[in-house]
This record gives sequence, structure tokens and C-alpha cells, in this order.
Amino acid sequence: MPLVNVPKPAFMEKLKRFFMVDLLKGLRVTLKYNVGAITDKDAVAGHGIYTEQYPKVRPEVAPRFHGAPRLNMDPETHETLCIACNLCALACPEDCIDVLAMDIEITVAGKARRKKVLDEFIFDTSRCMFCALCQEACPTACLELTQEFELATYSRAGFVWNREMLEQGRETVKYEA
Amino acid sequence: MFAYFAPPNFIDNLLLKLFSPETVNYVVWPFIQIGAVVTAIAVYALYATYAERKISAFMQARLGPMRVGPWGLLQPLADAIKLLTKEDLVPDKADIYTFKFAPFISVAAAFIVFAVIPFAPDWGIITDVNIGLLFVLSISSVGVLALILAGWSSNSKYALMGALRSSAQMVSYEVSMGLSLIGALMFARTLSLSGVVSAQQSDAVWFVFYQPIGLLTFLISGIAENNRAPFDLPEAESELVAGFHTEYSGMRWSLFFMAEYAAMVVVSAIATTLYLGGWYFPGVFRLTEAQGYHTLYVIISLVVFLAKLTFLLYLYFWLRWTLPRFRYDQLMDIGWKWLIPTALVNIVMTAIAIFTVQAVDGWRGLKTIDRLLPSLNLTGTGKAIMIAFGIVGILITAGVLSTINWRARDFNLKKQRRNIRLVNLPKGKPAVAPATTEKA
Repeated sequence: MPLVNVPKPAFMEKLKRFFMVDLLKGLRVTLKYNVGAITDKDAVAGHGIYTEQYPKVRPEVAPRFHGAPRLNMDPETHETLCIACNLCALACPEDCIDVLAMDIEITVAGKARRKKVLDEFIFDTSRCMFCALCQEACPTACLELTQEFELATYSRAGFVWNREMLEQGRETVKYEA
Repeated sequence: MFAYFAPPNFIDNLLLKLFSPETVNYVVWPFIQIGAVVTAIAVYALYATYAERKISAFMQARLGPMRVGPWGLLQPLADAIKLLTKEDLVPDKADIYTFKFAPFISVAAAFIVFAVIPFAPDWGIITDVNIGLLFVLSISSVGVLALILAGWSSNSKYALMGALRSSAQMVSYEVSMGLSLIGALMFARTLSLSGVVSAQQSDAVWFVFYQPIGLLTFLISGIAENNRAPFDLPEAESELVAGFHTEYSGMRWSLFFMAEYAAMVVVSAIATTLYLGGWYFPGVFRLTEAQGYHTLYVIISLVVFLAKLTFLLYLYFWLRWTLPRFRYDQLMDIGWKWLIPTALVNIVMTAIAIFTVQAVDGWRGLKTIDRLLPSLNLTGTGKAIMIAFGIVGILITAGVLSTINWRARDFNLKKQRRNIRLVNLPKGKPAVAPATTEKA
């Protein structure tokens, strides 16, 4: 059994205990936080309150955050930038991208040519791990993982995004602040 | 402009047409006052829960209730509606009638006390009982009964344990609570709460300056009496689920909740009345009543009283979110070994101080006492002496307490104490702990 040596408190220690100095220190800390919360300044790192009012006020995600995929379009012609090169599908470690291409007949300088264009783009977000290797692989900066993070759906099928969803973005309910 | 502040006279005239003056003065007006006070205190207690949630949130860098109404201001009402419409469950094999009756005792005990509390002068007083303080103490003891009945009749071990703890706690802290009041009463020379306030008014000083120790002791025992953190042993969530109201739900639970907050308001109100001058604030009388604005005077006094009350209530929340809970033996230690000696020392010190002031009065032209009846009114010199005694009293109390409790860290465990004595063994010999005889 260990021996307990209880030192007799010194006089100052006794005074400190009687006047509850430690209690006052604690009260000061809580008051500091309270005042900081009311004035929304300090208390630790600039904020007074850390709570996010999520559906009303959307949180700011980190700049390198990878979220919902998107197929970018040419801002002038509004045609897809995708050239159906299939590099993203090859780069994907989870194998969750399917690029379906088709050939169309076009006329280039009076001659009939065949061109491979994008028909359908399937992106399975349920298997995606948001590594953004597809984004790295894309030669035309078409496929991009955006900062959008609301990906939940009511069914598994809802996780599979088709070309329309990838181009237009999925509709989510927006709350007003 | 100030005619607006005179609705009572208008109502009085109206009532006098319907009833005789005696009926109006002794039946109708008291009923109006009671209705107003009960409603006001109920709303105040309701919003005290809101304030507690908000303040606790702020102290933890959170927001608190925000959804119901602007800044969550309607949250208490939503809670009330939810609780009132919930199912009223009664546990199996509970003592049904006691179980159902206990919350009402609790609420009644908390609310009856407001009858004698002077919220403001004139019509701010429902009734001025000349044993007001005794009445308050006796009624608040009845509150314990509700907890015991609730805990016993629930037929639940947690509720029973909570009730046992709370009764032990409330009984032990009531002693120091009662004793700590005596110092202030020596100055007021009356038990009537309005008398105490008018004593402070005629003396133009709050008794907290004479009685710093008294206020501290009263507040600590009051917090313990209300089973609030850091003394919330009876409803320690981590040990007893919810204490005596574990088995309660819906309306009956909300009654207990209401009673708890009302009891907090009661203790704050008594502390305000006794030590912080009640509705008295320097200068208010001179600026309003003396210039003929009677109703304005009453209303400003009411606001002053509520401001002091709210400050003390904030202190409750502040302490709750600062301090962790005491252990049970520490709780009893604080009650019996620290607070009761403090209160006794305070009584002795106050008696000595008053004796000194009386003895010094008239000594070499020194005048300390203005007049003695009905309360002890001191002149400037007397006040200075009394305040000096108050400050010296703090140090003397510190000395006495540290002498009594010089081994307070031993936690009162016999075995540990024996080992501590062994530490001072002569050197050279190894300190060997005695063989334990627990197995025998």
C-alpha cells in the first residue's frame, strides 16, 4: 500500500483556497467565452461561436475539397469539352467511370469524316473515393470534382450520375438564411 | 406624461364601484397581485430555462436554441406545449397517488414563498408577514418532502437514491442557510422582508457591505439547497439517470422542472432582499417619489429588484457551467465542516461588531448610531466601523476554518488517515504499512 504524503498547505496556499482563487479563475474563463460569444469576438481563434447554421448558412469547405463531379462545357458554344478519350475511366482506381462514345459523320474541308464524340457518361458516386485522379487525367479540363458536398440520395440508383446530371448538376433543396 | 404610469388608481376606482373598500383591499387586490405574480414567475422560470440554455451554449462557444422564433425566443413555449401533450406515464407498482401528487407539492412549495417577497414598494408587496423569513425557510423545507415522496413512490432505485441524497443534502444545508441569515437580521431587527428592505433603505446601504461572509454562505447553501450544480448530486446524470424525477414524464416532470427554477428564483430573491437591498437603489427615491411620481417609483423599484434577481440567477448559471460536481463526501464536508462554522463565526463576529459600535457610541463625541428603532441605523462612522469589521471578519473566518479543517484533504477515510500518520516515522526504518485485515 503506497504511503500518501499530504503536505501541510502553506499560508498563501490556504489563503488562495479560502478566497477560492481557482474558482474565480474558472469563472473568468467561462465569462470570457460568454462575452466572446455575445460579441462574436475572440474567444480562441477569432470566432465567438463555432456552431454552423448548416442548412441556412452553408459551411465553407477547404479549397482542396473534392466533392460532386461535373462535366464542364465550353462557356461560349455550350458544347461539352469531353472528347470521349476514356482517359478518366482508365485513371479511375475504383473503376467507377464509364465513357460511352459514338461516331458521328462530319464534314471537314469538304470531305466526309467520322468523329468520336461523347454519347453518355456514367459516374458512380457511391464507389467514388474522390481521389480526383480522373480530374488529373482529363486533357481538356472537362471532368472536375467540385466543392459541392450534398451527395445523399434516397436510393442506391440515385448515386449513379448520368451525363445530364453531370452537366447540369443535381438539384438540392436550398434554404434561405 | 407620467399619468401613463398610474393604471392601478384607475383600476382601483373601477373596483370600488363594484365592491366595498374592504373587499377591494383584502380580497380583490391580493387576488390580482397573486395572479400577476404567479404568471410573471411562471414566465420568468420558463425563460430562465431559455437563458440557461443560451448561456451554457455561449460559455461553450455554441449557439443554443435558434430555430423556434427569432433567436429561439419561442423555444420555452414550444417545450411547454410538447411537455403538456406528452403521455403521463406511471411506472409499474408505483404508489400511484403519492406519485401523482408529489410534483404539486414541489411547485406549491416553490411558489407560495413569493407571497411574502417584496418585489417593489406599495403594491409590489402581496403581504407583509412579520415572520416572513421564518415562513420562507419553513416552506422551502416542505420542498424536500416533495422530493422524498417522488423518489419513494416511483419504485425505482435511481429515484430513491436521488431522493435520499437530496433530502440529506437539503437538511444539512438548511442549517447553514438559516444561520447565515441571522447576521443580516441583526441589522434589520425584524423578520419581515419588507422591513429588511426598508431597514436598508433608511440606512442607505446594502447589507452585503456589512455581511460579505453572510451573502457568500447564503448563496452557497442556497445553490446546494436548490440541488443545482456543483451541488446537483440528487440528479447526477452520470450516476443516477435523473435522480428523483427519473420516472416522471410529460406534465409532471415539467412541474418538477418549473419548481426547480422557481426555487432558484426564490433563493435569488431572498438573497437580493436581505443582502442586495431588495428594490432599494440609491437615488431612485429622491428622483421619483420625492417629486410626486409614485407609480413611476414603484415601477423603477420593480425593475431594480428584477435586475438584481437576474444577476444572481446569472451567477447560478455561471457557476453551473464552470464547476464540476462534488463528490458526495465532499458535499457533506462543505455543508457541515465549512459552511456551518462560517455561519456561526459570522454570527459571533456580527454580534461583536454591533456590540463594539454600541459601546463606542458616545465615546469622546464619537457618534456611531443614528437611531436604533425599528432598525439599526448607523452614522457614517458606524458604517465605516461595520464595513471594516466585515472585511476583518473574512480573514478571521479564514483562520477559524483552516484551523478546523487543517486535514480536509484526508477525505475522511480512516485507513488513509492512518497511513498518513505513518509518514513521519523515524528515519532508517522502512515505513511499512500495517497488514490489512480486510479479508478476515
